[in-house]
Amino acid sequence: MPAYYLEAFTVTLGLVLLLAEAFFPARKGKAWVGIAGAIGLAGILASAFLTIGPEGNPTANWASWPMWNFYQFDSLARFFKIFSLLTTIFVLLMAVDYRSILARFTDHPESENGTGEFYCLPIFACAGMMWIASARDLATAFVALELVTVTFYILVAFMRRNIGSLEAGVKYLIIGALSTGFLVYGIAWIYGSLGTMTFDGLASALHSPGTLHTTPLLFGIALVLIGLGFKVGAVPTHIWIPDVYQGAPTPTTAFLSVGSKAAGFVLLIRFIEPFLDGFSPVRHEVTGILAILATATLLFGNFAAIPQTNFKRLLGYSSIAHAGFLLLALAAWQPESINSLGSSKSVAFYLATYLLMTLAVFFVLGQVRVQRQGEAIADFNGLGKSNPRLATVMTVLLAALAGVPLTAGFVGKFLVFDLARNAHFWCPLIIGCIGAAAGFYYYFKIIRAMWWIEPDSSAATIVLPRITQISLIMLTAAVIIIGIYPEPIYALLR
Amino acid sequence: MPFYLFWLFTTVMLIGGVSVIAFRNPVSSALSVVTCFVGLAGLFIGLSAFFVGVIQILVYTGAVMVLFLFIIMLLDLKDEEHRTNKIAPIATGLVLIGIFLIQLFSVIADTPNAESPPLDQATLSAAADSYPQDSKIATELKEGHLPDVHLIGHTLFTQYNLHLQILGVLLLVATIGVVSLSKRQTE
Repeated sequence: MPAYYLEAFTVTLGLVLLLAEAFFPARKGKAWVGIAGAIGLAGILASAFLTIGPEGNPTANWASWPMWNFYQFDSLARFFKIFSLLTTIFVLLMAVDYRSILARFTDHPESENGTGEFYCLPIFACAGMMWIASARDLATAFVALELVTVTFYILVAFMRRNIGSLEAGVKYLIIGALSTGFLVYGIAWIYGSLGTMTFDGLASALHSPGTLHTTPLLFGIALVLIGLGFKVGAVPTHIWIPDVYQGAPTPTTAFLSVGSKAAGFVLLIRFIEPFLDGFSPVRHEVTGILAILATATLLFGNFAAIPQTNFKRLLGYSSIAHAGFLLLALAAWQPESINSLGSSKSVAFYLATYLLMTLAVFFVLGQVRVQRQGEAIADFNGLGKSNPRLATVMTVLLAALAGVPLTAGFVGKFLVFDLARNAHFWCPLIIGCIGAAAGFYYYFKIIRAMWWIEPDSSAATIVLPRITQISLIMLTAAVIIIGIYPEPIYALLR
Repeated sequence: MPFYLFWLFTTVMLIGGVSVIAFRNPVSSALSVVTCFVGLAGLFIGLSAFFVGVIQILVYTGAVMVLFLFIIMLLDLKDEEHRTNKIAPIATGLVLIGIFLIQLFSVIADTPNAESPPLDQATLSAAADSYPQDSKIATELKEGHLPDVHLIGHTLFTQYNLHLQILGVLLLVATIGVVSLSKRQTE
């Protein structure tokens, strides 16, 4: 099956669900839309393992279609397609268990009438992320990126009776529009200096520089990096993250922090690869920009997270810090070799472990919001007494986020530090280590709240609904298994 | 394009752009955007991008901005209230803009000028070879005309076909979003 069927199926699934949601009577609520979406996406996920690019079947009729001029299907593309589908499935399931809050702040507090679109829109965003992973040129990537961003404008502001959600929506819209402007302006400068927008064309134009003038090219690269920095949450366009993460509905926040960040990073890898190649005349400058961005992001994310008291906001800062580690891996660029994964695949690996840990934590956070009506660290007080199993799971997840050995988070951080050491990036490496140490402090604050602080007498006991329970068990098991035996992710990347 | 026309249209555009943010009345701001777009259309036509220039007038000035004006009038927006402006944010903004402008000017000063080929009979008929013989585009190019509508259509549907379809999904998502965020709330 040709690979581009995946996006076609995903968009079709979204359209069918939208129609079904609109025309079937809503007496039984809207949760079935989310569950149907998750099942449909799981089917597409299964077929993603069977799809092939034109190399897989060169004699087929479709292999010579001009479609492959804008669309590629290499191992990185396949990995990130699977990644997007998996993220969207978990986000939809999370939204199903979060629906009481969604219903309260959308149409009418007692009915779920206004919540149907919340299960359909992530599917379109997922299609956009899959297109980004396969983009061959900056134009495709830009259009697909805008599809993702526009969907997120809606998803962030979806709880329109909640002032925090609306404020987050406005902030995301304004900073998003600004960064889109930077991105397009940068693409225009790059097209002006190299005369091409395809990634292959960029590489070949840099191979034979001739009379290439690097000043306008560097200006364009800097502008594009600012624009993409918004997507991945890197300094200097990180300022939206804390407010938007805190205000948006929790499933949207999870989607933003995993899906949107991964889409930004896959585009960043594709875009930056030609410029970091050994032949590139701008190699040192681009490495320098990336190293400075990575260091600033690491410093800001980790230190600003320390005084936070709201857990969702803390996760926002922690996602900035993780973006810093990922940028460090890109700055210490190394191509793939026999005994090293190389930078692009290390980033992919890190993102995969980040998916498992972050989504699981957001599942728990969503239920704390539903059952204890709050998202502060204080709302986790005494969880170890009232629900010790959940507190144990949460402890494992937070330890993984901090990077304790034998968890998935450690393997990812180890790969990044190894790349930085091979590239002799001593200063960013030391700052990364300090950042990781700060991470131990702020993640362990929640562990302390769960096990050593007495709960309020009014605090409700948290009972997890079935879907959250199953998802949480799967994700936590994966965090531990990948921490001990990371081979499954390596196999996916091959 | 003659030198004085370039400066004329640029001035019109800049005046329009500045007055968008200077006016407090939303209707005046919207009309300033129209002025800005007219100047932009003049620049496009001066650069031989006739189709883009005409579309700029027809679609943006004629349709989009008129729709904006309708919406502003329907919503009956009042003048923006006079805010007390604080010095620090304005100063920071000006410094940032200043740094960006200096950088832009130094990049432009450091970039060699390139002459674009003139759109005469010779260049046009040379370009005809890359299109199929006897096609509308090839014959028009050989005669020395610029079939810009055909060329844009050709490019859109061959080189940017997938992009067009992704944009279709994007517009659908935007429509759903507008409806679900702004529909009347049942009390």
